[in-house]
Amino acid sequence: MKVYDGSQTEDAQETEPERLKVGIAEYEVTTGAAVLTTSGLGSCIGIALYDTSTGAAGLVHIMLPTADDVEGGNRAKFADTGVTELVEALEAVGASPSTMQAKIAGGSDMLDFSEDGSSIGSRNLTKVRETLDEFDIPIAGEDVGGDHGRSLQLEADSGDLVVKSANTDSVVL
Amino acid sequence: MNVDIQSLGTFNELAHEGAKQATQSLAQMTGIDAIVDITKITLLDRDDIGEDLKGRDFVGVQFEYEGILDGDTVLVFDAESADTIAESMIPGASEDPKMAQSAVKEIGNIMMSGFIDGWADYLDSTIDHSPPQYIEKSGADVLPDAPEADDHRQVFVFKSEIEWVGESVNFYIYMLPEYEPLAEAMVESADTESDAIPIDKLQTFNEMTTSGTQQAADNVEMMTGIPTDAEVTQISFAPIEDVPKQIGTDTYVGTVVEFTGIPSGYLMVLFDEVSAVNVAEAMMPVEMDSDELTPQHEAAIEELGNIMTSGFVDGWANVLQTSVDHTPPRLVHDMGRSIVDPLAAQVGQHQEHAFIIDSKMQTDEIEFSAEIHALPNEQELRAALDDLDVERADKTEASVEQMFE
Amino acid sequence: MPDVLIADDSEFMRNLLREILEEDHTIVGEVENGVEAVEVYNEHTPDLVMMDIVMPIRDGIEATSEIKSSNPSANVIMCTSVGQEEKMKEAVKAGADGYITKPFQKPSVMEAIEDVVPS
Repeated sequence: MKVYDGSQTEDAQETEPERLKVGIAEYEVTTGAAVLTTSGLGSCIGIALYDTSTGAAGLVHIMLPTADDVEGGNRAKFADTGVTELVEALEAVGASPSTMQAKIAGGSDMLDFSEDGSSIGSRNLTKVRETLDEFDIPIAGEDVGGDHGRSLQLEADSGDLVVKSANTDSVVL
Repeated sequence: MNVDIQSLGTFNELAHEGAKQATQSLAQMTGIDAIVDITKITLLDRDDIGEDLKGRDFVGVQFEYEGILDGDTVLVFDAESADTIAESMIPGASEDPKMAQSAVKEIGNIMMSGFIDGWADYLDSTIDHSPPQYIEKSGADVLPDAPEADDHRQVFVFKSEIEWVGESVNFYIYMLPEYEPLAEAMVESADTESDAIPIDKLQTFNEMTTSGTQQAADNVEMMTGIPTDAEVTQISFAPIEDVPKQIGTDTYVGTVVEFTGIPSGYLMVLFDEVSAVNVAEAMMPVEMDSDELTPQHEAAIEELGNIMTSGFVDGWANVLQTSVDHTPPRLVHDMGRSIVDPLAAQVGQHQEHAFIIDSKMQTDEIEFSAEIHALPNEQELRAALDDLDVERADKTEASVEQMFE
Repeated sequence: MPDVLIADDSEFMRNLLREILEEDHTIVGEVENGVEAVEVYNEHTPDLVMMDIVMPIRDGIEATSEIKSSNPSANVIMCTSVGQEEKMKEAVKAGADGYITKPFQKPSVMEAIEDVVPS
């Protein structure tokens, strides 16, 4: 867990919102105006949650559908536990699932060599949807599937999720 | 000497935790917000260490340590960021070189103590380190010489990359332990022999791959007429979620195949966009003179990727006296990291850590560089190493003539 | 002029082979996988097949094996990037008459053809 002690370097300008980088199998939560970013989603999925009543926001970058296949202590690595972890972290800062909405991007089928046609991207998507459904969190926007990679930028003050790709224009969800 | 995957994982985790400790000390003392981007254990030829530092000036703090592990470790900053760090500790320090040096030395001392202590605690032993030594050098020269060993040209290096949030500056921690004490410590910390990797053979495998890279580079040269040199070949070990970070966020063009057999896994041949156009043009009989990637360029890249892939894996098959099949190449043109991501996920369904084999080649004549990355499945790599007859390591080439006479 | 069939999934390679061969050969077909290779072979029974190994749907070794079992006199030269001894053995077993590894130069292609189908 990161500790933000509020000390800023001198040249940090007040107008620039803080940028928080979310790596693979990591999540970040903010109650301020930070911009949360994650890059290089292929079959991985970025799930952005925004609480409309408190303005709290969070982003998790999951890699695999569920922890069943592999043991691994990191809950943010999997779709089911990752979404749960993010919901809980938002609850811890005062948000409630009943006022949260989700935006999701990623889950591409690119470079799927599996022969049964069920790519990790699509299995990730199914699991993300299932888990959000369990919390009754609606999906307010999505840019998923296809055969290209994506990078995300969650603007926490508005809940806008900007989706960038290498070969196409950005989309705002 | 066999080392189980678990202890490689544990050692990687130790280095990662150590780097995090060091980064926290940095944040506390300077207010600089930094995160540990990646930590990996790499096995490579001693001459290739620090290849990625080429062309930049660094300031560093170096220590010798001895105890349960022996060797050198160094903390390296970009020359410019060293000034910023000094300034944030002692205002005015960047104007006074002596003061700046002492500030950097002190922060290095504190950061690295945290790094080394974690290892000692885990290994239930002590590791003593020398007073910090301040260094200012260019490129790989900033790193200490790799420990000498008669029978090991290759060395294990622990490398952490620390990113200064919001700045395009990185810090690096390199730890270069002597081979024998490290291997012994890893064997000691092993829980079970069941998933053990014979690490001595890993070196042989790396040498085979080096000749595979050379073969791939020769193939490029034959197809394009561009003299191409194989640069670095290394094998790294990292948590699966760190695998995509091995490749940058730039856009790449290239091919991906799945290979099956012993070993199995995925293999990428990647070019940056400029190199892709240049190399494709060189393969075409007619001048295209285009700056953009046309379908003709892509067809050329696809075939080049195919031929480079074969050049790369054939040596494994010939030494192991087996066959390694690969799928037809799939053309990719996307952000590097998102190309690797689905492959890491596929491998990650069955394992928590992964071995990554990286090779680079380049040429001085035109702007051209290529990277080959292989992501083997752990179980099949282990099987390949078990089967590997070290005596046959140089039998990477098959003779067509003998068979079709 | 002898008839030749080119089987390779790479458009780039088919073009390259066509340029090398068309001067002295009649090209009866260019196909992208092993299934098409067998079909076109049976239709035209060309004097020579230049056969890639790694192709989608059906690989070149299987296709060679099928062509050779129904037409033992067929001439098939493997033309592949794969330089693995075990693969070469498989090719021999399938009945291949020659083996060229990519990347190749025109003279080595001509030489291999001369060995298999003397002019």
